[in-house]
Amino acid sequence: MRISKFEHYSRNIIVLVVLTFFLLPIVWLLTTAFKLPRDLITVPPVWLGFTPSLVNFDFAINKVNALRFISNSVIISGGTTIASLVLGTLGGYAVARSRLKIVSISSYFFLVLLMIPPVAMLVPFYLLMRDLQLLGTHAAVIILSTCYNAPFVVWLMSRYFASVPAELEEAALVDGTSPFGAFLRVMLPLSIPGLVAAALYCIIFSWNDFIFALLLTNPATKTIPLGIMATFSVSNLSWGNMAALSVFAVLPVLIIAVVLNKYFVQGMTAGATKG
Amino acid sequence: MSQVVLSQPQVKTARRRINNRERTLLLMLAPIVLFVAAVSLYPLLNAFALSLTEYKLTDPNQTRTFIGFQNYIDAFNDPAVTETLLNTGVFVVGSVVSQVLLGMALAVLMSAESRFMRIVRGLAVIPMAIPPLVVGLVWKALLNGDFGPVAYYLKLIGINPPRGFLGELNLALPTIILIDLWQWTPLLMVIFLAGLKSLPTEINEAAYVDGASRWQAFTRITLPMLAPIIFIGVLLRTMNAFKIFDVIYVSTGGGPGNATAVLNFYIYKVGLTFFDMGYAAALANILLVMIGVCCAVYIILLERQKNSNS
Repeated sequence: MRISKFEHYSRNIIVLVVLTFFLLPIVWLLTTAFKLPRDLITVPPVWLGFTPSLVNFDFAINKVNALRFISNSVIISGGTTIASLVLGTLGGYAVARSRLKIVSISSYFFLVLLMIPPVAMLVPFYLLMRDLQLLGTHAAVIILSTCYNAPFVVWLMSRYFASVPAELEEAALVDGTSPFGAFLRVMLPLSIPGLVAAALYCIIFSWNDFIFALLLTNPATKTIPLGIMATFSVSNLSWGNMAALSVFAVLPVLIIAVVLNKYFVQGMTAGATKG
Repeated sequence: MSQVVLSQPQVKTARRRINNRERTLLLMLAPIVLFVAAVSLYPLLNAFALSLTEYKLTDPNQTRTFIGFQNYIDAFNDPAVTETLLNTGVFVVGSVVSQVLLGMALAVLMSAESRFMRIVRGLAVIPMAIPPLVVGLVWKALLNGDFGPVAYYLKLIGINPPRGFLGELNLALPTIILIDLWQWTPLLMVIFLAGLKSLPTEINEAAYVDGASRWQAFTRITLPMLAPIIFIGVLLRTMNAFKIFDVIYVSTGGGPGNATAVLNFYIYKVGLTFFDMGYAAALANILLVMIGVCCAVYIILLERQKNSNS
């Protein structure tokens, strides 16, 4: 399809405008984190001509104990991701390969689960955790997060597995491996991109979660989003401090998503094109 | 094809091999089903039972008085609930439609295979990775009337709402839709792009040879072929649009008044700030039914479309 030079250049310009729209808030966040309080409220807004300072990060780490928030987030995200991957991949394989009616019905059950708003489950789950005396623990958040993540992993991995021809496992079965062995030795190695994408999804979902942590943690187990809210509403509304904490919240996931972008995209769309 | 007669032991082995495999598959499915059932069924059933009672979390005696469907009746008579239902409808439809349109436009715009485009696409997915809480806070700051950059630039071209974008009754919900659009359009762009890439190009080529314009080729050939993927995008975004919470919590708190309170947020407000748990549970069930109906409609349409294609 021949595109005129004019079209080519105007397309690139539009793309740059769109990119600016999507990246401006992020640039704002990053620059604000390094700004001194006096630079925050300058009008007109200053994008580049300010003296950078680490005073906000110092506040975050020393006054607000950001490192504790980060470790809590890491524990909860890690736990959720591992649990969701294990449960979800096993289940996804079953959904993809089984011909039993029960299995396809349960895949719809998982889809229904994805529809439930977290708020609906939150109140009774809170009471359940309170009665089990698990309120305020990492485990409580991990359990609830996994309950929401694992069905999505099942959905994702089942579409991915379904796109791999079954002959490969059939061949392995003929050669004498057990069905589970065929899964471990044939399917899993082939599915690394899908697994990476599912893991990425779980990490992002649980790292960014707010409402589960809001309800189920106590001050010792607060995650980063809660830490941000806590500083925001209690102490002086310093956008600089908020931005510094947010950088901790954003940077790890951002790096992963950009570096592993290929897997991210692949995973999100795995099987989506099969319709 | 020659007739193969299996001797008795061979038939048994073949059947057993299938059963053995299915059994393994069932065992692999079991952990997640048991886990999810254990974690979710008890709370869900409890939630339904709770919705039939009056239960305040702050009650020192923690009494739960059975009041039947009174909570549901109160919900339908409550003007705040009507307002939140309206807000929910406006938000879901507004955000899904705008995100699908923009996502498709962006997918087409960025579909070229060049180094530049690859980098652009990689950068465009960044909004998805940001915690919604942070997204809400950042936009709240950007739109801040006193020092927010976006508000400043808009003031320069004459747009200056007196109470700020998030404080005006008529602008607050559209602003929330815009924030959601900012964060999630890249997801749809990525999904649609993958769909575009998987389409065969010969049909379009043939159409161009026959004299079709690019717009005609796009609307009459490409779009219909993309219909299943568009459905999936719509389904995913609809399910998640009903669940929006963080952005509203942090930028408007449901306000001004209840202008940005969608049902999901209002349930939180009722249950965990007013502590009226029974009522909140009833509202949650109403929301659940709403989502279920929407999704069921989509899925039925999707199945019907799939059947008509094959």
